[in-house]
Amino acid sequence: MPPVHIAEGYLPPLHAVAWTAAAAPFIVHGVIRLGREVRENPEAKLLLGASGAFCFVLSALKIPSVTGSCSHPTGTGLGAILFRPPIMTVLGTITLLFQALLLAHGGLTTLGANAFSMAIVGPWAGYAVYRACRGFGLLPAVFAGAFVADLTTYCVTSVQLALAFPDQESGFAGALAKFGGIFAVTQIPLAISEGLLTVLVVRLLRSSAAEDLLRLGVLRQKDVATKEQVPA
Amino acid sequence: MLAIDAAAYRSPWRRHHPAAKALLAGTLLICAVSLPPWPGAPITAAITLAVALGWARVPPGMLLRAARTPVSFALTGSLTFLITISADGIGWAPDGARRMADVVARCVAALLCQLLFASTTPVADALPRLIRVGVPAVLVEVALLIYRMLFVVLDTTRTIRTAQAGRLGHRSISATWRSLGGLGSAVFVRSFDRARRLEVGLAGRGYTGALTVAIKEIPLRTRFLAVAPLPGLLAVVATLTLERG
Repeated sequence: MPPVHIAEGYLPPLHAVAWTAAAAPFIVHGVIRLGREVRENPEAKLLLGASGAFCFVLSALKIPSVTGSCSHPTGTGLGAILFRPPIMTVLGTITLLFQALLLAHGGLTTLGANAFSMAIVGPWAGYAVYRACRGFGLLPAVFAGAFVADLTTYCVTSVQLALAFPDQESGFAGALAKFGGIFAVTQIPLAISEGLLTVLVVRLLRSSAAEDLLRLGVLRQKDVATKEQVPA
Repeated sequence: MLAIDAAAYRSPWRRHHPAAKALLAGTLLICAVSLPPWPGAPITAAITLAVALGWARVPPGMLLRAARTPVSFALTGSLTFLITISADGIGWAPDGARRMADVVARCVAALLCQLLFASTTPVADALPRLIRVGVPAVLVEVALLIYRMLFVVLDTTRTIRTAQAGRLGHRSISATWRSLGGLGSAVFVRSFDRARRLEVGLAGRGYTGALTVAIKEIPLRTRFLAVAPLPGLLAVVATLTLERG
């Protein structure tokens, strides 16, 4: 199962335009935040470049699914936790554009719809859950954030497809049940897999790149201090 | 290097301006998504394929490999059109096969247009020119940086994966998970480390925040620009003629 990119030409033209219009304000907001960050801190541009390349590669990793198949993580949860949702919106949209042009995954007419699910709703929902669960500890919050970001992305895609192709008998509700049902079978296990992978990555980063996580605000000074006090 | 981008660098159309190629592929793409799927989509697909293989000399094998995954997604995604859900339960949709054929035909035609542009225009040629049409410079610069770092990071990922496989890192499910976690974190650490080293190197050369890249000047107003909308126009005329006939 490929990552949930809506393929080029899959959406009717009106829907493609509408989703592009819906995604545009979030992307503009992200670009404004990106511009401010780069003005205040010119060297951040290079780190943002590295972050974008990391997001692209992350979404190309194959992860084993509980159902026995293989899939790719969306990477939106980890991206939102590390770089915050507005920046992730921009990085995610650029990643989607490159995936369309370099890998033919997704499309140019469906870029708005894909950006809305994968670079906007997924990161914002995942980040909100991560912040809400942060009190339970870093790793449980990371798992919850990545799980919700992944699942929300698929739910939004189901809604987009159901709106574009309502069922002939039962309309939008029936189509949502069809698309949601298919995604539920394949994507709930994948969302769990992505949550687990994200926890593994953050756990390793906590020991190998604590300074970066501190700078990005993922770790707090007291987290590092507490860890250092634990005897070997 | 990724196959589509490699083909774009080798393309004989590289000497043409990206805007002219965008006009050609763009008009065909508009035809693919907005003309009636039958006969619009097959006609657009046939014209695009003829332009790609005959005129732009896109390698057919590469085109086929690149189209395989998105077409399979369109096919599997469209299977849902064959069934309908009603108060009586699940049944066959009477018009499902036609609906599926419409969507798949439109998808294939649009995908070929996208591939025509992508396999004749390297991203590095198209991106810097977006500033001239009003895209914020900061966005283009970050996108270009991502593009340039992408290949190094992909290469690093491949090297780490090979090393992990050589150490039996994928022999069981638990080992695969450990390897994936290690791979994700190692790629992150190395990407950031590389960016920092790049920053130090640039600072030593007087970096102030502007990454100016030389862009090869390509003339826009050529005969190619004049004929660029013709394939799209041909698709419109052929579709309307067949529909009326």
